[in-house]
Amino acid sequence: MGRYILFRLLKWIPSVFILLLLIYALVFFGAGDPIKLIFLQAPGDVAYDPDRVEAIRDAAGLNRPFLVQFIDYLGNIAHGNFGNSLVSGRSVNSMISAALPVTLKIGLTAIFLLSIIGIILGVIAALNQNKLLDNLIVGFALIVWGIPVFVAGPLIIVFLVLVMDMDVPYGWSGLFSFKVIVPLLVLGLNPMALIIRQARAGVLEVLSEDYVRTARAKGIPNYQVVVKHIMRPVLTPVVSQIGLLVIATLNNSILIEKVFGLPGLGRLTETAIKTSDYPVILAIVLIFSTVVMASNLLVDISYPMLDPRAAAKKTGDE
Amino acid sequence: MKKDLFKVLVLGLAVLGLTPLQSGQASAEGGQVLNIAHPVLQQNWSPLQGGGHSARWQSLSWAAPMYFDKDGKLTPYVLSSVESDDSYVNWTLHVNPDAVWSDGSKITAKDVVGTWNLSARPATKHARVNLFLGGVDGFNDVVVGKAKDMTGLTITDDATIAVKLASADPIFDQKIATALIAPVKISQAEDESGNEKADWWMPQNGVVVSGPFMPETMDLDQGILTLVPNPNFFGPKPKLEKIVLTTVADASTATLMLKRGTMDAHTELITPTIIQDLGADFLGGPALAKGQQFWINAKKPPMDDINVRKALIMSINPEELALAAFPDGPFTVASQILNKVPGVDPDFKKYPYDPEGAKAALAASKYKDAGRLPKIMFVGISTPTHEAAAQYIAEQWRKILGIQGIEMKPAIETYSGPDQKSVQIFRDDVGTRVPDAVSYLMGSIYSKSGNARNKLGGYENAKIDAMLEEASVKGVKDPDRIKLAQEAQRLFREDWVYIPYYYDVMSKWAMPWVQNFDKNDDWQVIEPWNVTIDEAKRP
Repeated sequence: MGRYILFRLLKWIPSVFILLLLIYALVFFGAGDPIKLIFLQAPGDVAYDPDRVEAIRDAAGLNRPFLVQFIDYLGNIAHGNFGNSLVSGRSVNSMISAALPVTLKIGLTAIFLLSIIGIILGVIAALNQNKLLDNLIVGFALIVWGIPVFVAGPLIIVFLVLVMDMDVPYGWSGLFSFKVIVPLLVLGLNPMALIIRQARAGVLEVLSEDYVRTARAKGIPNYQVVVKHIMRPVLTPVVSQIGLLVIATLNNSILIEKVFGLPGLGRLTETAIKTSDYPVILAIVLIFSTVVMASNLLVDISYPMLDPRAAAKKTGDE
Repeated sequence: MKKDLFKVLVLGLAVLGLTPLQSGQASAEGGQVLNIAHPVLQQNWSPLQGGGHSARWQSLSWAAPMYFDKDGKLTPYVLSSVESDDSYVNWTLHVNPDAVWSDGSKITAKDVVGTWNLSARPATKHARVNLFLGGVDGFNDVVVGKAKDMTGLTITDDATIAVKLASADPIFDQKIATALIAPVKISQAEDESGNEKADWWMPQNGVVVSGPFMPETMDLDQGILTLVPNPNFFGPKPKLEKIVLTTVADASTATLMLKRGTMDAHTELITPTIIQDLGADFLGGPALAKGQQFWINAKKPPMDDINVRKALIMSINPEELALAAFPDGPFTVASQILNKVPGVDPDFKKYPYDPEGAKAALAASKYKDAGRLPKIMFVGISTPTHEAAAQYIAEQWRKILGIQGIEMKPAIETYSGPDQKSVQIFRDDVGTRVPDAVSYLMGSIYSKSGNARNKLGGYENAKIDAMLEEASVKGVKDPDRIKLAQEAQRLFREDWVYIPYYYDVMSKWAMPWVQNFDKNDDWQVIEPWNVTIDEAKRP
């Protein structure tokens, strides 16, 4: 297993290099010049002087050739230094270290909750196939799947404020705060539909297996049949789905953090993209790719634990 | 194991349930707190930026050299007086003897000159320093990094500065009446190599300020700033107990927070339904010497044909265009470039709305009909209001001229991107911070202005340049100053390179319970010390 993880990590390094090169090239050549943007984005009587812009670019080292800047950048990140923001001059390391925990806390909590609740609802729906409860749960899943996060977020705020006469749940006071409930709900509801459907389909498939029938014939209580015999094979596809949900959650965090004022990576991403602040953009890309890679690795590692057949395939004991 | 998990879940829910709902900073003990929603996660609050959203709140903490009061009168502040000789080339500035920093130390001539030199250096990235100090002798060398200090700024003594301009400028005193070049304590802001120190403006680093409020906390990651009264402020005692600036990037969320009274004011909030949502008073304010136009780059096909430009402009009904963007006002329909300043031309001939004339002009162009026109690209369609206006324009062109190939891009940064060569129309505003027609036109239609070079694609009319150059050295009371400006503007009209859109007002962007929140053409709260909150009106 150790060698397997090491091999995966080694494979990840060239991927990240190519990703960084591509993103660097994209922002360098195509996303706009951050120094020009300082002038062009300011409204009204801003004094845009091309000679001055060039002098500022010189002072910031932005007039050096692309490869020189990129290699310089790689050298810095090899030393754990993401550089300074081109717009604010702040250390990107300090910006990331403040924002990352917020996104991770919100994202992981949302994934944990949606997985637990999604699996439970999926199992309940399957065990009540074609009954009212099943229809309600599947209907609920269909509805929340049909509402994208960028619609659900503002809608829920409007509902809370204008209908329920509540304050806008805005800002960040830590994970254990009322203000976090609504963003968690918005972040979790849409992907939860996937888990519900996946878990339901999995349970329905396993229900007709011989070993489940045998277990029931032996008189084992139903909840034990579900927990011990049905859940384990059902979890394997659900866990692989969770790997994909990490990506969706990171994407959705950009909007959720903006709408609910959460000081995480999503909000930072939006600001950095708007200003073409590429040291910040690149650091976020690197962080996001690490999170995605880590989640995929965790999913891969968890397969053999959930399904012994996967372990047997790896060791050739099948 | 399962029981443990259950316990953890129950405990978690209990903690969530017991945590009180915090809804912003409602009030401090006894005093009034002004809550401001700020639309951008601002990582830099240096007063030396000269732009950006943070610059809208510069007057809260930084005293300007001078400022324009509610009646547009030039008022002393850090500088007690400014006078020039008859040539308008040599100026003498006197620092107010009462002006002090928040630590009680005196504001000196060295601080003023040091701030201005630092602002001009390229690494500082001040966005507007050219507008205020561009005429000072030696400025051009400093902005491109050839020199550190302007030769035209000399410290005569602790309280006196001699300024030598490169050429006569009768309104230099008005130009420096802006909070965007407010002096900072130079020993705090400048490092040994003459660059701006990182984060010197943060309270954690002991920044001292000159304005009525000083920063108490600055959490850049959360995007929350708190300001408290400056005990050593040399002006009137501030009435507010605290000001809290919170980043609220989403316009819908900000609108709801304002509606509920969680927020009292906003840095800049523009939505199509803002009047219906927050009332006309929120957006209202005095007329501003600033106007929005669609600028046409006459060097890019098909705009290189004046008949095409005429056809496009005559297809637009200016009243309908402004209404498309703001059905409920308060903005007014634009016609000429000049607005609000003395010298607005009463005889200016508006562009006509003439669909038949537009069709005839297109037929007279080298392209003959709409099918032969290259695709027309707009940029600066960055808000729903501008989107509505651009949609109206596109629809008019489709209906009247049969033009189909139109593309709209949200942001002006496209200018610096790969589509730069195909952009023919920029939506953007121009204006002035001084009540002067020449300054207004020098910033918009003069060939060396940023607007002419970038938005108008290198627009140049030698006659206009000559007129404006001649006008710019005439005294403010010389009637020829305004006459020449008006003539230049009439000549500009004949080039058919802009679609008039609307004139701005200096929106209050504050709820009705916020009192004395008037702003000037410098986009600053004029008297921050007088701002109060009528608690009876607050929800």
